Amino acid sequence: MSTLSALFAISIFPGGLFLLSSGLLYEWGNRKLLALLQNRVGPRWFQPLADTIKLLAKEEVIPTGTNKFLFIGLPMVALAGGLTAALYVPLAGLAPSASFDGDLIMVFYLLSLLTLCMGLAGTNTVSRFSLIGATRTLTQVFSYEAPFLLALLGVAAAAGSWQISNITAYSGQHWLILTQPLGFLVALIGLMGKLEMPPFDAPEAHTEIVAGALTEYSGRGLAFFHLGKAIELVIGLTLIAAFFLGGLSNPLWFLIKTLALLFIMVVLQALLARLRIDQTVGLWWRYGVLLVLVQWLLMVLL
Amino acid sequence: MPDTAASKRFTVPIGPQHPALKEPGHFEFTVDGEIVTNAYVRLGYAHRGIEKAAESRNWVQNLYLLERVCGICSHIHGFAYSLAVERLANIEAPPRAQAIRVIVAELERIHSHLLWMGVSAHEAGFDTLFMYSWRDRETIMDVLEGLTGNRVNYSANVLGGVKFDVTPTQADIIRKGLTFLEERTKHYLDVIMHDTMFLQRTRGIGVMTRSQAEVMGALGPTARASNVQRDLRVEAPYAAYKDFPVQMVLDTRGDLEARFEVRINELFESYRLINQILDNLPEGELNVRVPRRIPAGEMIVRLEAPRGEVFYFIKSNGTDKLERLKVRTPTICNMTSVVRLSVGHQLADVPMILAGIDPCFSCNDRTVQIRQADGGAQPNGLSSLMSWEELRQYAIRKYEAR
Repeated sequence: MSTLSALFAISIFPGGLFLLSSGLLYEWGNRKLLALLQNRVGPRWFQPLADTIKLLAKEEVIPTGTNKFLFIGLPMVALAGGLTAALYVPLAGLAPSASFDGDLIMVFYLLSLLTLCMGLAGTNTVSRFSLIGATRTLTQVFSYEAPFLLALLGVAAAAGSWQISNITAYSGQHWLILTQPLGFLVALIGLMGKLEMPPFDAPEAHTEIVAGALTEYSGRGLAFFHLGKAIELVIGLTLIAAFFLGGLSNPLWFLIKTLALLFIMVVLQALLARLRIDQTVGLWWRYGVLLVLVQWLLMVLL
Repeated sequence: MPDTAASKRFTVPIGPQHPALKEPGHFEFTVDGEIVTNAYVRLGYAHRGIEKAAESRNWVQNLYLLERVCGICSHIHGFAYSLAVERLANIEAPPRAQAIRVIVAELERIHSHLLWMGVSAHEAGFDTLFMYSWRDRETIMDVLEGLTGNRVNYSANVLGGVKFDVTPTQADIIRKGLTFLEERTKHYLDVIMHDTMFLQRTRGIGVMTRSQAEVMGALGPTARASNVQRDLRVEAPYAAYKDFPVQMVLDTRGDLEARFEVRINELFESYRLINQILDNLPEGELNVRVPRRIPAGEMIVRLEAPRGEVFYFIKSNGTDKLERLKVRTPTICNMTSVVRLSVGHQLADVPMILAGIDPCFSCNDRTVQIRQADGGAQPNGLSSLMSWEELRQYAIRKYEAR
């Protein structure tokens, strides 16, 4: 890969500009659809972008009692993690711009980086809301991460490779949602947990703990965390669509399949009330893990 | 800070400004992990001095002032005040006026309960129910606007009667609105009783036994959800409730789910009652004349507001102004239960338990107490409590030093 094409891949497509704009648009789609289901008007299409620009222009208040280096650095690491992960997934239905054996695991860890950074950012401040939010964020990581990973690994096992490009080549021929419906379910709901969407929004339940781990964040740091989440939404949807829904052969299929997944997620968000953190953990370890294990058992037996 | 047990406690402050609170109040919850081990409440942030202000206005002007005690149950305050004044003057409002007062009071109960349902669902993170119940609440707001001209602070009462009549056309509009709402309410009752995710947040949470409710003096739907038979519309019927009896809605379980069900079932009772009164509206005058000076005396009136018992004490000295007014709203009586019931629950349940009593802070605030957090002088040599004169001198010094 020449320097120029590497620069292009990082700053324009699939990383950088394309990813940021699609992230913001998908976030808008999420908010708008949810609003329509809840009988509200919802935001205009450029609202997430406007929010981001506004936040970037605002003063970043660094509260006393925090480690400044971590306070400023964590949002950047979180955003960088998401942007890097994008290089290894088949965004827009095109082949990943970088690939190596085992990149599935790396993408998975890069995606978790955001959550870990948020947890650290919460514990870095002395605000009591942040501390509780961070505790809940990290507790939630430990509940959904294992089932989510197992669900994705189910696909990897079926494809016989831990390389995303190989897996997508295999799943392009097989609609794995038919053979691994339980894995699909766990992966989709796991993504909702990862993004702290309702009903898994206990870590940022604003009627209890204001904004959770990010309570003390303002300005640039908050904008970076929001962008990171928007990006993670796109990457997560891409991964699940590519793995379970018969691959992403071209941009049109990419759009259709990811939007269909987004719609399911929005419906779930509208239907369900928030779970308490103990209920979240219980749900994942009692049902989530069990479902994935049953899925694995079926795969071994059949 | 010394390394004592007190300094190690982890306290979560909720308020005076917090997203869970629609009005200012202050709660401190000491938590061990997620479990609340101690709770503390401090009120008084929205004290407006209405009782004192009432002493400087005449009898008629007070009606407008007292409607503004509460933004949600505004009618019940005007209702209670007019009843008290009428009883002091030894007159009675005409039957038609009393019926219209009850119609507005029940419409107010419907709008208050629907509002409460939305707020509580929001506290549980169930925003869809919140949005839908508030959309349907608009029906009642429109009905009230068509009836009285206002969405809130309807100003339906005058001393000696009511301001407006309910024409047959308006009665039809009300009936139509109620038919629509009855269908919707059935749906909500179904959601509240059968939505598994929502039940996880309400069933068995904040259980208040009957004896606890009685000891803590709980009122209104909060008490009735614990099977305490306390409803003034039934126990001591006033105005048109004497002719149109109400069925008391009770529940034995005392948890949040019961509080939801009691309030929603009360909605059905209100729909039925309003329809019944509309069908049998007494004919006659809308009001009678009330003298400008009210004879000296004391009067107590208790009415059932959407949240529970509203208590009015009025002392007249025979002039055109009252001598003393005392208002007690139900939230202050129910607040004890929040502090008691949250202990032992998860922090996540606390906003739900608080919302469960349907708190209304600005109407319960009576006094402002000043707490000296540091207990002494501040670095700049001033005591942290200043008299009015000290404050004035301080402001002058500060201005001159600019």
